[in-house]
Amino acid sequence: MVATTVDIFTSLWSIFSTLGVLVGVVVMSYMVYLIVKNRAKPEKPEPEDTPRPGELPREQKGAKKLLISVVLSASIVITLISLTFIALDNLDRPPADALEVKVVAFQWGWKFIYPNGYESVGELRIPRGTAVKLYVTSQDVFHNIGIIDLRLKVDAIPGKTNIGWTRVYETGVYDIRCFELCGDGHGVMIGKLIVMDPGEFNSWYSSLQVS
Amino acid sequence: MDPHQLPPSHSIKRWLLTTNHKDVGILYLVTSLYFLIVGGVLALLFRLQLAGPGLNILSPPAFNQAVTIHGLVMVLFVVSPLAFALANYIVPLQIGARDLAFPRLNALSYWLYLFGGLLVVISFFQDRTLDVGWTLYQPLSSAFSPYVGVNTGGLGLALLTASVTVSTVNFVVTIFRSRAKGLRLTALPMFTIGILLTVLMMLYAFPALLAGIILLASDRILGTVYFTSPQGGAILWDHIFWFFGHPEVYIVLFPALGVFGDVLVTFSRRPLFARRIIIAAMVVVATLSFLVWGHHMFLTGMHPDVRRAFTVTTIAISLPFDAIILSFIYTLAKARIELRTPMLFVLGSIAIFIIGGITGVFLGSIALDYVLRGTYFVVAHFHYTMAGGALVGLIAGVYYWYPKMTGRMFSEKLGRLQFVLTMIGFNMLYFPLFLSWEMPRRVPLYIEKLMPLQQIATIGGFIFATSFLVMFWNLLYSLRYGEPAGKNPWGAHTLEWMTESPPPPHNFDGTPTFADGRLSFIAANGAAHGEPETHLSPWPFMLSLASFVALLGLTTHILISVAGVGLLAFSVLGFAGERFVSREEALGERWPFEHVDRMKLAWWTFISSEVVLFGVILSAYVYVRTASATWPAPGTLLDISHGAMNTFILLTSSLTVVLALASSRVGNRVGTVGFLAATLFLGTLFLFNKYNEWSELFSHGITFSSSLPASTFFLTTGIHGAHVFAGLLALAYLLARALRGAYIGKGHETLEYFGYYWHFVDIVWVFIFPLFYLV
Repeated sequence: MVATTVDIFTSLWSIFSTLGVLVGVVVMSYMVYLIVKNRAKPEKPEPEDTPRPGELPREQKGAKKLLISVVLSASIVITLISLTFIALDNLDRPPADALEVKVVAFQWGWKFIYPNGYESVGELRIPRGTAVKLYVTSQDVFHNIGIIDLRLKVDAIPGKTNIGWTRVYETGVYDIRCFELCGDGHGVMIGKLIVMDPGEFNSWYSSLQVS
Repeated sequence: MDPHQLPPSHSIKRWLLTTNHKDVGILYLVTSLYFLIVGGVLALLFRLQLAGPGLNILSPPAFNQAVTIHGLVMVLFVVSPLAFALANYIVPLQIGARDLAFPRLNALSYWLYLFGGLLVVISFFQDRTLDVGWTLYQPLSSAFSPYVGVNTGGLGLALLTASVTVSTVNFVVTIFRSRAKGLRLTALPMFTIGILLTVLMMLYAFPALLAGIILLASDRILGTVYFTSPQGGAILWDHIFWFFGHPEVYIVLFPALGVFGDVLVTFSRRPLFARRIIIAAMVVVATLSFLVWGHHMFLTGMHPDVRRAFTVTTIAISLPFDAIILSFIYTLAKARIELRTPMLFVLGSIAIFIIGGITGVFLGSIALDYVLRGTYFVVAHFHYTMAGGALVGLIAGVYYWYPKMTGRMFSEKLGRLQFVLTMIGFNMLYFPLFLSWEMPRRVPLYIEKLMPLQQIATIGGFIFATSFLVMFWNLLYSLRYGEPAGKNPWGAHTLEWMTESPPPPHNFDGTPTFADGRLSFIAANGAAHGEPETHLSPWPFMLSLASFVALLGLTTHILISVAGVGLLAFSVLGFAGERFVSREEALGERWPFEHVDRMKLAWWTFISSEVVLFGVILSAYVYVRTASATWPAPGTLLDISHGAMNTFILLTSSLTVVLALASSRVGNRVGTVGFLAATLFLGTLFLFNKYNEWSELFSHGITFSSSLPASTFFLTTGIHGAHVFAGLLALAYLLARALRGAYIGKGHETLEYFGYYWHFVDIVWVFIFPLFYLV
């Protein structure tokens, strides 16, 4: 099976979250350790270099320690970015055999226009296993079409067409929601994505009456 | 009334008229806490709505208004002003100054801020306030939100940007020109460094917001088509807004970083780790902050290479932050840590900020941002940085300096109680929002399975709110019953602790100096010599009130505006004519502006912010023109001869200003008056010619809303014309004074400062003429 948008996101997400949690835990544990260890106790004397009233600021030397830490975090971050660019290449390269559907967002709903000219409001039907490429625009304000379960999101901007794609290997129904505040109906701007068995899809698609 | 003496602190007169930085600081503090309650109550309202997946506590329009105003109020009217409350009070003390460089302008900043906030509050009681999200995305907020309250709220924001510009200039000049001898820039306390970098970012970020608001207001009120046309529209706004918006994030954060630095040193009893690297890293962040705005637009279909570039800058900016935060943590090694309330808040805030920073790297990754954009993950991330890092960090600052401001200690017990409630409430409120990353932002309804997370968040929200009630009680109670604090209750080393708590009006008895590497005081205070300095002025309040009335009239009744403009004229004259004494210390550390006097520095600072304003307006023109398939050829829409004539007139007027200054320098009264009059005449001629040009266009049916070429022309030349008009008003005033013998022999600096402004306005025209008429 070819990677889907879900696969691409999930693998990247798990790397980021693992490293993120790791770094967070290490740094915070170290901080808590220092605080507990160095808490002021009556028997503990003041450090020798405590800044005295009226002194100009001094600093603790430590360029080396800091450099090592920053190089370490830089290497983590650069790794993450390289992985991001690889994932991005895959996301930006929609499969060639895709079913192409035009999406027009409006206050407050979605219109889907199929290659044969058939228009449907609120409901997008696609066949299982075939890539689907969405050409997304808006007829009024800035929206964002999101099918979060498929990890797919595209800005819908008036006067502009943006492209997104996905491929689903299981039949089912998914929520389509708007992810950019677009007015009073933003919260209820919900559509349905219906992934059908290819055979059923074909018979449905060929039965459409296009005016 | 003696304007050199402050009335007692229980008199209302004191608070309306004061220009003393410490009083203004207190005013900022109280006002920002008031707006914290406004923003907080709104948040509790929509947290209640979100306590269940399908509740109907707020209708969708009410929900959108609550979310929008919560965001705007918290970012612009709470966190930054709270930082400036501390900055007003503490920065002059930390640098050894008697006051800010321009005390009256400081009071003016405060009152503009208050009245700007009042406009936003008033807009609630009109037909719908801003309901379009704090980011004011287009074209939703231009063509699709036709409510009068949106206009009022927008005008409130405009007034706020005026306040910010004025205070920015003031702090830049103060920190560069009023430092005690020996206090080099790198030797400044961290809080002052944080504020200096903050105001430098503000100086170049806020004019972009102002330009955006001007374009938006013009679309809404005059009918121009910047954002309603697809060539400009959503993307143009994104660029303008986020050019402001991303630096704004650091503008909000940097004062808190400064608090971290000072508090850590005091309570860990050790010097800061790698202090100079921290400062360098902060400078890098402040610079880079203007180059990362595109990461807010990854999904808008920008060119892949541009997107990659913004990814790299975004990720790059995380590295200096690593250096800063790690240095703070390394400071704790071999320390003797006193866990008093301010220190607890700083440590808690750093821990929270670390989570905010790590999740920021997630969002910097485009591939993840594709999915996380517009979800609760983003909401959680920026609350961890801006509410947890910035706001909680500033609360540490409030506790840290409370003894200095009031002369009394707060209750440590209540402080700790608040800390515990803050940490529990904050994390209960925002951590579940990371886990709600599949849920869109700003929706009043959601799917059933997210209910437990959202309910935990709501409970956390109320605990977080309670923690502030504890703080308010602590601050009020201790004002009366707290133990006397003495000069330096924390044993800190910075200068603000070397004077009484609270400090006397002139701050220090004697002039502080670090000339020989340690603090000493030169006995004779500068204030003791010559004419006493002024501490009271009615005009900052009057000017702000007048602006408020004038703007309020625009969305209520035009007669109110007329009255406001009248009051404004009266107040401007009053302000200009008032004799207000505020002297610079004879002795001070002023690098790199030893030879630039403070007025000159102020003008240059102001003009550099104007460069950004016009830069954005001209960029918007270039942007829409590039995006348009066709554009009228030179000479078809606009008559080149009008433009050429105006270019000639304006350039000549620059020459006459120079000649007026030269005459004034040599004491030639006739020349001064004559050349000022000539400038006034030429400027008027320019506007007359402009008027003819506009009338011709109107008579051919070409108006603001005709097309993008028309819209951009009218708006750009209109804003420029408004600058010319403002210059002419100033000229009329100068001429009137020159006729009565001013600027001869002495006082010619005033003409010089006016000259800078006038030349700048001319130079802008030199860009406008070819861009609009010739190409």
